Amino acid sequence: MSEYKRTVVLIDDNPTSHKFFLRSMEDLSIDLKTYGNTDDAMAYLKDNKPSLLFLNIIMPDKNGLTFLEELRKLPLHNDTHVIMITSKDYSQDRTIASELGALDFIVKPMSMRTITSIMLDYIK
Amino acid sequence: MAKSYLRFWGVRGSYPAPFETHLGIGGNTPCVEINVDDHLLICDAGTGIIPLGNKLVADGKQDRLLILLSHFHWDHISGLPFFTPAFIPKYNINFFGPGDSKEIIKKYIDGQMKAPYFPVGTEEWMANITYIDPKERKIKHGPMEITYYSAHHPGITYGYSIKIKNKTIIYIPDNECLFLDKSIKENTKGFSEEEITMFTKMNEEEYETAVKTILNTDILIHDAQYTPEDYKKKKGWGHSCYIDVINMAIDANVKNLYLFSHDPNNNDKVIKNIQKECQKIIENKNSSLKCFIAKESLEISLD
Repeated sequence: MSEYKRTVVLIDDNPTSHKFFLRSMEDLSIDLKTYGNTDDAMAYLKDNKPSLLFLNIIMPDKNGLTFLEELRKLPLHNDTHVIMITSKDYSQDRTIASELGALDFIVKPMSMRTITSIMLDYIK
Repeated sequence: MAKSYLRFWGVRGSYPAPFETHLGIGGNTPCVEINVDDHLLICDAGTGIIPLGNKLVADGKQDRLLILLSHFHWDHISGLPFFTPAFIPKYNINFFGPGDSKEIIKKYIDGQMKAPYFPVGTEEWMANITYIDPKERKIKHGPMEITYYSAHHPGITYGYSIKIKNKTIIYIPDNECLFLDKSIKENTKGFSEEEITMFTKMNEEEYETAVKTILNTDILIHDAQYTPEDYKKKKGWGHSCYIDVINMAIDANVKNLYLFSHDPNNNDKVIKNIQKECQKIIENKNSSLKCFIAKESLEISLD
């Protein structure tokens, strides 16, 4: 029987961020799906609920906070676990993210250990 | 056909600065008029929109307009309660700004005019007020094609790219450049070599994205609020140091840069000195970039 893997989604336009997450999670039994834009991510999320979603804020096609507002309107995602990962560290962004139900707000640069520890905290 | 032009009506960031020492540049908060083939576009509705509105009414020629709001901080909307065309039935005013629905844009605009903050609410506006669905990715306004992108500024803030007659204008009044770069320099203590290498690469990619956004722009109107001394104290406030802006504009092969969103603490002399310093950087880099101070009443031909 194949091992059950939880799905984690990363939405970030930065290609090296994808590599960073893959590297951070390589020892964990997790299926990481990475998206470089919000359209492709939404196409997947329309029918799929990941165990955890990491979301950047400043992206060329859409602001991550606006994306999260739209995502929350889908019944499937009204309680999806979302964590913001961003270099945009303003207290108002933290407030908006929190009001939209984001569980945490991680500021770049963060260590790989931080990512691993979040995974272990939120995916039990 | 009428002439096409861009005119600055408000250039000051944060709050109005109607001080004697500031009036050479101007004290009104952000508002830029772009008039192309009789199509009127207004970028932001700071106090600069008040004299613009009065001129529109006095001229009586144009009654259809689109107002793009970069965001809803006071300095970008505080002219609306005094924008005369909104109170006259013949005007058609269309709004666009960041949000996830037309209703939320209306709510944000209405909010500042509600009691007890203001004596007259937007229900007194007699113009035909409409809102463009904020989910639209591209907006067409006469010959102008408008797209937008997110800026580094507290809350959700847009920069706008306006394409007209083979020219591109980018209006980004509030934006803190090189945020990740500075964060990496300050916060990678104890990181492994691999982590530092990856974040250095991420930083390069982020900078490339920022440069690509403004690449080859004909007219860039960009936040340049802080001197290096100011920025040391105000990093994380959502505004740029002029040195970062000028370097990015040079790297992006921008043709004309207009320093915008001037700090209300800076008088005319300080702002002129900022431009001189920018000019030195341009000369040292042997760049063809032209750098100007955005000042009230300055008009640029778009013909």
